[in-house]
Amino acid sequence: MARLLVNGKSHTVDVAPDTPLLWVIREHLRLTGTKFGCGIAQCGACTVHLNGQAVRSCSTPVAAAEGKKITTIEGLDPHGGHPLQVAWIAEQVPQCGYCQSGQIMQAAALLAKNPHPNDQEIVDAMSGNICRCATYLRIKRAIQRAAQGV
Amino acid sequence: MSPLNRRDFLKTATVAGAGLTIHVLLPLPAEAAGGTITWEPNAALTITPDGVVTVHITKAEMGQGVGTALAQIVAEELEADWKDIRVDYPINDEKYGLMLTGGSWSVNWTFDALSRAGAAARLSLVDAAATRWGAPATECAAESGTVRHLPTGRSMSYGSIVANLPISKRFSDADLKAITLKKPAEYRIVGKWIPRLDLPEKVNGRAKFGIDQFLPGMVYAKVAYPPTREGAKLKAVDDSEARKAPGFIRTVVVGDLVAAVADSYSNAVKARDALKVAWDPGPHANVSSESIFRDYAEKARTDTRSPSWVEAGNAEAALKEAAKTHQAVYTTDYVAHMQMEPMNCVARFEDGAYDLYTGSQFQTMAVGYLTKALGVEAKAIRIHQQYLGGGFGRRLEPDIMIEAALIAREIKKPVKLIRSREEDLRRDFYRSATLQVVKGGLDAGGKVVAWHNTLVAAYPGERYGGLDKQGRDAFALNGADHIYDIPNQFVRAIRGETGIAVGYVRAVAPNYTFFAVETFIDELAHLAGADPVQFRLGMLGHAPRLASVLRIVAERSGWGKPLPKNVGRGVACVTAQEKKSPTYTASAVQAAVDPATGVVRVQKIWCAVDPGIAVNPDGVRSQVEGSVLFGVSNALKEQGIIANGAIAQTNFHDYQVLRMNEAPEVEVFVVPSTAYPTGVGEPGVTTIAPALSNAIFMATGARVRQVPLLPDRVLKALQQKA
Repeated sequence: MARLLVNGKSHTVDVAPDTPLLWVIREHLRLTGTKFGCGIAQCGACTVHLNGQAVRSCSTPVAAAEGKKITTIEGLDPHGGHPLQVAWIAEQVPQCGYCQSGQIMQAAALLAKNPHPNDQEIVDAMSGNICRCATYLRIKRAIQRAAQGV
Repeated sequence: MSPLNRRDFLKTATVAGAGLTIHVLLPLPAEAAGGTITWEPNAALTITPDGVVTVHITKAEMGQGVGTALAQIVAEELEADWKDIRVDYPINDEKYGLMLTGGSWSVNWTFDALSRAGAAARLSLVDAAATRWGAPATECAAESGTVRHLPTGRSMSYGSIVANLPISKRFSDADLKAITLKKPAEYRIVGKWIPRLDLPEKVNGRAKFGIDQFLPGMVYAKVAYPPTREGAKLKAVDDSEARKAPGFIRTVVVGDLVAAVADSYSNAVKARDALKVAWDPGPHANVSSESIFRDYAEKARTDTRSPSWVEAGNAEAALKEAAKTHQAVYTTDYVAHMQMEPMNCVARFEDGAYDLYTGSQFQTMAVGYLTKALGVEAKAIRIHQQYLGGGFGRRLEPDIMIEAALIAREIKKPVKLIRSREEDLRRDFYRSATLQVVKGGLDAGGKVVAWHNTLVAAYPGERYGGLDKQGRDAFALNGADHIYDIPNQFVRAIRGETGIAVGYVRAVAPNYTFFAVETFIDELAHLAGADPVQFRLGMLGHAPRLASVLRIVAERSGWGKPLPKNVGRGVACVTAQEKKSPTYTASAVQAAVDPATGVVRVQKIWCAVDPGIAVNPDGVRSQVEGSVLFGVSNALKEQGIIANGAIAQTNFHDYQVLRMNEAPEVEVFVVPSTAYPTGVGEPGVTTIAPALSNAIFMATGARVRQVPLLPDRVLKALQQKA
């Protein structure tokens, strides 16, 4: 049994403690905005926040998330109106869209810590997140836009 | 297995290619089913009394924005109000014709048919309103989802016509062809900067991909895959340990397919890992990249019987008579798709029919394979199309659907099958490794008079019944038939047989054919002492649109202006994705080479495209940006290595793709045009490896003829030069 606090709601799930948090979020809680990409923390598609820190949920055992505040893309903003989500639309960032929840969660953690990152800080923070459609240039622009509050 | 024979394939392909995918165009009366009235004038759209127009998108949405673009085409001629437009992605049905998304074909194949489908629906609505008003249709006009009677100002919305009036106007194929379509100057939706319809749900986590599907009572399966990519045979399965795994349900064995089924994904992994499966690895267990390239080189040297792909004049004789000749050997390694969403499928077998929830690029082919594998009729296969978490050609293949359907049939429960990244990479259908031996000859004036290419590649087309009478696969050879005006040409097409499954990876053959063509053209330019841009332009007199994009990138990139030491610029221009429906594309790439390490850093890319009408201009830009960066990833990083009959890499740490810290700035130029539209998903990819190889040469004087252009290869080329 694991007790989890996800997007402000408590859940109790019957899973082994070594189950990756990703699969609990996706398959048990059915919050499918968080994606499976590699399973070894190499692509960032599964990025969620644990107490505000961006983590790779595919490589986080569910036991390590107990007692912490878990935020997924569904809980980033109640109406999907986080400045990054607005900027993502303004810049028409996504192509296939599969990696974008992870990209946005990674960027949200960056802006929470550093509201006005320079180019290099954006690149440093985002280079763990792969986008095979290669929307990188638009991601960068969208983060800059959100940081400027446009 | 080739369930769709070649004639069927070509017949359907030709029909689709002629832009007739919407071949059922009998307007049906508005139907009241369960109290809901919908009017379905043809297979492209339905309109409901609330005025909502749903455009049925039979192409896969895999990031290229096809749903929005195709809806724009219908809405334009329908004279719909864009705010009333919705899209859906219907279950496969014969009425949709060939359901295939690839080849940068979607807009090119459907633009005319969808325009006519929209126009026919508009004319039917106008006719219904005019009849009600007792007025001639010529006195009526449609605009923004409303029909107006111009002399009296009376009006009716599309929704209210659908709800209240009989709609009886019908269109034969001849009537459809006779419709006068709008002129580009009259467009108000096509060519406009319209935000993509699928993006809002792609930033809030609500977009549903195949992997996001759930069915009541669903269980999870994991397959135990064989050690070699092709040809392994199952010898024995011992599931005594797997049975002890938590949540274990059962083991499924069908032919060579072995799977463990459990109550959750994680438990299915544990059960599968506990299976003891014995395999006969089959005849390809010793195949490696080295053995494949050795075999290719041998074939290129000795094969004089394989058919030609291009033949003009007499290349052999012209080479003998040439004032100067040059020869170069180009190779490209295996490339994997690495789409972000690993292959997956949710399958249910109930009442003799299969419901498959997945993202497919080729439903028509999948149905063919599935009916064979499952022994059912086509109507028993329902593919519920989802968003694709990347396609790039990977989701043309029906392999995951077949596995999921077989497992669902055995366990009689809905089942979710998800491959891990490792499995996804191991079971991929790669872009073939290739080898090209190119010879060229110049006359005394430096003009190219002879071109000879011996091309060796494995052919993906066999599985699709796509080899021609001479055994050639167009999809493995396209691009080798370049557009340059050279009087004597010969290209020999040699099929490599490797034991490694090959398929279609974004930009397909033109990725490697244009690498050889555009690098060799550069080599010939230097042999002739000519500027590479001017040299190309000299052979493009008959291709003004290609010449134009090349001039654009030359001008914008500051071609000819001096650069710092070890920094170079290169160009490439192509008629991808197919010569018969080309998007004229040129790129200039600027790169810095570190002579100590061989590390190449791409600094900037300028890419100009002329795709005809740009249905969604920002969509075009987005595709061009993504495609050239996909090209950088292919050109610099991606080397699929084969060992022991399978790919040696396992995940993103050892099969690396481009990340943000390696992405150069990209400037895109879209040539304004009113020509019939072509496609933009792939052409940009094909320009990058040659332009980059040419940039490395300009920076250092070293020619790197192996893609990817890895540091050790650059270093070797630098040493050879010195």
